Amino acid sequence: MALRRVVIAFVVFGVVAFVGGATEKFIVGTDASFAPFEWVSAKGEKIGFDLDVMRMIAVLEGYEIEIQDIAFDSIIPAVIAGKVDIGASGFTITAERAQVVDFSSPYWTSDQAVLVRADSGLNIVTALMPGRKVAAQRGTTGAFWVEDNLISKGVAVELVLYETYPEAIMDLLAGRVDAVVQDQAPSEQAVRQYSGQIIIAGVIKTNEQFGFLVAKGDPKRILPRIERGIQKLKETGAWDNLIAAYFGNPLEAVEAAWEACIDILQVGKDPVAYAACLAQKVQELRK
Amino acid sequence: MTLEHWLRVWSYLPQLLQGLSVNLALLGGLLGVGFVLGVVIALLEVYGPTVLRVFAASYAWVFRSIPEILLLLLMWFGPAQFGLSISPFTAAVLALGLRSSAYQAEIFRGALQAIPMGQTLAARALGLSRLQAIRYILLPQAFRLSLAGWGNEFAVVLKDTTLAYAIGVVEVMRQARYIGSRDFPLTLPAYVLVAILFLVVTYAGLFVIGNMEKRLRIPGLEARR
Repeated sequence: MALRRVVIAFVVFGVVAFVGGATEKFIVGTDASFAPFEWVSAKGEKIGFDLDVMRMIAVLEGYEIEIQDIAFDSIIPAVIAGKVDIGASGFTITAERAQVVDFSSPYWTSDQAVLVRADSGLNIVTALMPGRKVAAQRGTTGAFWVEDNLISKGVAVELVLYETYPEAIMDLLAGRVDAVVQDQAPSEQAVRQYSGQIIIAGVIKTNEQFGFLVAKGDPKRILPRIERGIQKLKETGAWDNLIAAYFGNPLEAVEAAWEACIDILQVGKDPVAYAACLAQKVQELRK
Repeated sequence: MTLEHWLRVWSYLPQLLQGLSVNLALLGGLLGVGFVLGVVIALLEVYGPTVLRVFAASYAWVFRSIPEILLLLLMWFGPAQFGLSISPFTAAVLALGLRSSAYQAEIFRGALQAIPMGQTLAARALGLSRLQAIRYILLPQAFRLSLAGWGNEFAVVLKDTTLAYAIGVVEVMRQARYIGSRDFPLTLPAYVLVAILFLVVTYAGLFVIGNMEKRLRIPGLEARR
């Protein structure tokens, strides 16, 4: 039958499968492009400080999580819409955000770093003078800082926004912007990888607090469990081990250590031993 | 960017291919949805009673007017307001599929209208019902005529699948960004590699469709040249 053949030819590219079904499981939204807080390893695993904290608390508090990767400025809308239960993506606690979502107590303190080209001769003052092009990632506190503390106060820098942080850095190297404002830890990561080409001109002491976030009013009662989990991690020393493993180390070493240790958490269900393993392995691999 | 970076990015090829497979699954889904709805809308536009004709025209108007990225966001956030939970992948297939169906409908409508009226009259004179005439005489020819336009639609929507990353579908663009975020200097090389992958896929797809055009051609009935 000629018609049928033509129809089959048309839909030759395939059919879709739909997925469903769940137990007590929370969806964690993250933008996995913010090493060392969250990124995707060479083997395609989503890893990072935030995500491991989420995994460890899930084990301690007896629930499951599914980590979903979403563009950073879509995470809060997704939490509000109920598509995502927890936002864990290096979110700075701000009054503005606190109006639409609920935050956990702070788990990290960060400042903003100002990156410039190594040969530009700019310092933190000259890099942010009127007329300079200053880059930041859309929806981040780096971008808010430039708006609130420079532009709103009459310092006429030109703010250029990027979807991702690496793209902002690329334009910095290309000379299309003069400086990039971003949290300190990822900035240090960038300097390590582009060694000699970019430097941190200075650090703005914003003293920002990172928090995990959930929908306003915490309808699923997740925050108390996160608080309890963080408390336990701190008491057992797992927290400090996690920090030692994730910050200031090459990502390759962290990834290899994660591969080696993760079963202790996911199969053995032992967050404390996992964090100890991770910290130790990273130290070994650095050498 | 040094030569070393351009060489190093190749080690990420498996990760990018895995992302590309998601784009191809999206493509299959959206072309399927778009094809089925597109044919129905085209038939309604050409042969439907006035009410349905207006409906079909409005449908085509709506889904050709709204930007893809907006359709994606609406499809992902919208149903959640009513307690319906659909995965990002499903939302992407529906949003892009509905949009594609509007364009495919126009392709099929044009093809249906290109078939001379005399054929319908002849079919009816031979005793075929209106539906039979559409089914056995008009549609088989219209599909053949629409293959060229459909190939164009394929090339367009293939690229649209990269927009799905905005609602959390981890497709090839997203994978490329993962690579850049992990290894900053590889940002541009990863993008270039993705571009090469799309060149290959588009070429392969258009090659298949072109061959289909040749194989399905009815001697003596092809478009005049």
